[in-house]
Amino acid sequence: MALLPEEIKPAMQGVIPSDVVTCARDGTPNTTAISQVYYVDADHVALSHQFFNKTVRNVRENPRAAVWLISPKTFDSWDLEVEFERSETSGPVFETMDMQVEAIASMVGMKGIFKLRAADIYRVISVTKNVDERIPLGEIAGGR
Amino acid sequence: MISDQLVEFLHGPSFLHLGTRDADLRPAHTAAVGAVAHDDRRTVTVFVPAARAGRALEHLRQNGRVALGAGQMSHEAYQFKGTFLSSRPTDEADIARQEAFRLRFLDSLRQGYPEEIARPLSLGFAYRPGVAITFRVEEIFRQTPGPGAGEKLA
Amino acid sequence: MGAEGTDPLGLREQIAENQRTIDRLNRELAKKSDEVRIIQQISSAITSTLDLDHVLEIVLGAMDRVLGFQHSMILLKDPAAERLRLFASRGYDAPGLGAEVGFGEGVIGVVAERKRMMRVGNLGMSRSYLRSVRARMEATGQMGAVESASLPGLPDAQSQLALPLLVKDRLVGVLVVESPRPNAFDELDELLLGIVGNQAATAIDNARSYQLVEKLSRLKRFFSPQLAEAIVTGGADDPLKTHRREVTVVFLDLRGFTAFAETSEPEEVMGVLREYHAEMGSLILSHEGTLERFTGDGMMIFFNDPTPVPDPAERAVRMAVAMRERVATLLGKWRKRGYDLALGVGIAEGYATIGAIGTVTNLAARLCGEARGGQILVSARVAAEVEDLVETEEVGPLALKGLTKPILAFDILRLKSRV
Repeated sequence: MALLPEEIKPAMQGVIPSDVVTCARDGTPNTTAISQVYYVDADHVALSHQFFNKTVRNVRENPRAAVWLISPKTFDSWDLEVEFERSETSGPVFETMDMQVEAIASMVGMKGIFKLRAADIYRVISVTKNVDERIPLGEIAGGR
Repeated sequence: MISDQLVEFLHGPSFLHLGTRDADLRPAHTAAVGAVAHDDRRTVTVFVPAARAGRALEHLRQNGRVALGAGQMSHEAYQFKGTFLSSRPTDEADIARQEAFRLRFLDSLRQGYPEEIARPLSLGFAYRPGVAITFRVEEIFRQTPGPGAGEKLA
Repeated sequence: MGAEGTDPLGLREQIAENQRTIDRLNRELAKKSDEVRIIQQISSAITSTLDLDHVLEIVLGAMDRVLGFQHSMILLKDPAAERLRLFASRGYDAPGLGAEVGFGEGVIGVVAERKRMMRVGNLGMSRSYLRSVRARMEATGQMGAVESASLPGLPDAQSQLALPLLVKDRLVGVLVVESPRPNAFDELDELLLGIVGNQAATAIDNARSYQLVEKLSRLKRFFSPQLAEAIVTGGADDPLKTHRREVTVVFLDLRGFTAFAETSEPEEVMGVLREYHAEMGSLILSHEGTLERFTGDGMMIFFNDPTPVPDPAERAVRMAVAMRERVATLLGKWRKRGYDLALGVGIAEGYATIGAIGTVTNLAARLCGEARGGQILVSARVAAEVEDLVETEEVGPLALKGLTKPILAFDILRLKSRV
């Protein structure tokens, strides 16, 4: 279906943190900031699965999640409705994410200590660009 | 419920994320610009741009469940979960608070971002007209990454 | 496409989006024809030369001028270890050549290890995130302080794009571009870098092989063929590679000084010594050597310890040649007064580790002892290092006290005229 447009890709570079909202079966929502939402293809995104946390537990009970992204180029924000599909511990998506974790970990003296456990793959159900959330760049006033 | 330290944190320069869900347990995100912890140390008001508030309010009126994530550039972060109490349009006092918040946020973003990102990210968010959403806090969790992440604090 | 907000904003937005797409396609088309041009330029330039430095310069130059990558580096794999060394860079204040990166260290090291391209645009945020996790782990006693490797490149790089240079799946090196701006590179940059990299990998590999073969034939003049082979393939330490803490030791003394001292007035002896020390001292200083010890007429001078210098053997030899000339002038003066004195010099090189310093010093001292008046005798290693600088004559093999085998030594005749 190719739902993710080209222009969303800068928002998936991890420059500005994203957010993921999930919901437990008992109806309690949960919100977590995410360093980077990874582009898998035009219909899939991936989140790094670090620890067995509430987000991971929630999507195994209730696969729906809401992902919020913001572009460091245009500052448009995006709402994605996604559904958890599977967890991967090998393959090209996992490898891409794993290489990044390994590189950064080695740069801060955490080699071997901080590792990617899995890549959680989500299918994209809808994509909404939030056009009314922004003050156009030319009109920003205030601050030094 | 909410300690001095957490009050100060909530009033500080944070990324604010409101999580809600509909009757079918489908989650939704709403970005917020500024928050206030009240003197009773139990209730919190968060300010959401009016154009984005519709969906959140629909959810809250239907089931009242809410989660607020607050995180700063230091990576210190907390989550406040609870039940919706009321909402109203933001007034002049709220707007003033938001404007002060935005400037503090800009300063904080400059620690890690070049100006061409810090300014639009802080000052580029529509915040008026806004909706003030108030909820009662029932659980507080640490979300700072590393040891202790996920720990229930209150 | 995604859903838009309310009309008529929606329609306007749609038109703007279409225009952006058209602009982007135009840019891509322009870039594609640039690509063809780049490939042709680079191809013909680099396949027509086996000079490694030249190949590297062409590649980095083209990447800057044509593709706009302002900060770039090429690191090549050590033939015998899982390490890379920086061979060429462009767009940096300090070129940093010779810097080493181990497999798995940073973006460059991980790309080398996995043989897969990597693009990151958020190094600042990623590092800050992990640093704070680490700080919490240290604070809760879950880990102690750990060193993180220092890596070549921009200290404040936000974006990096690194490509493995492969010839038939064998890693030749890594090509890196970086930027102080976040999210500086996109998929198109990956594509372009990939094209340059594929062209460059083979040419670099060929030039490097050629360089190693050249080096082999040079080394064979100074060392046994087996040792030369081992050095080039990495089986033995390469004395021509810059090592840390390697010391060059110079021993010198005045021939005939004892006889002279015995048969002369104390004032005369002091006078000669004062002049000799003053002259030698100023030469030691100007060549940045360290006077370790002196005993009347004998001196022991170190290069590269305690002060590191980039070319200790060369400095030592230059100093020795200058000293010989200076002493010759003084000798002229002294001989008129009937003194028969001459300078003898021995130079050797080795690691400054415990035990080894004794061997190096001993060798230098023995070479000095073996040297006739006016001779500068150096070990094979030193001779190999200063080959371009001086004309030499083979001496030996010499059986020297304290050494298990006879060694080949070289007499420094004169500086080469073009130096």
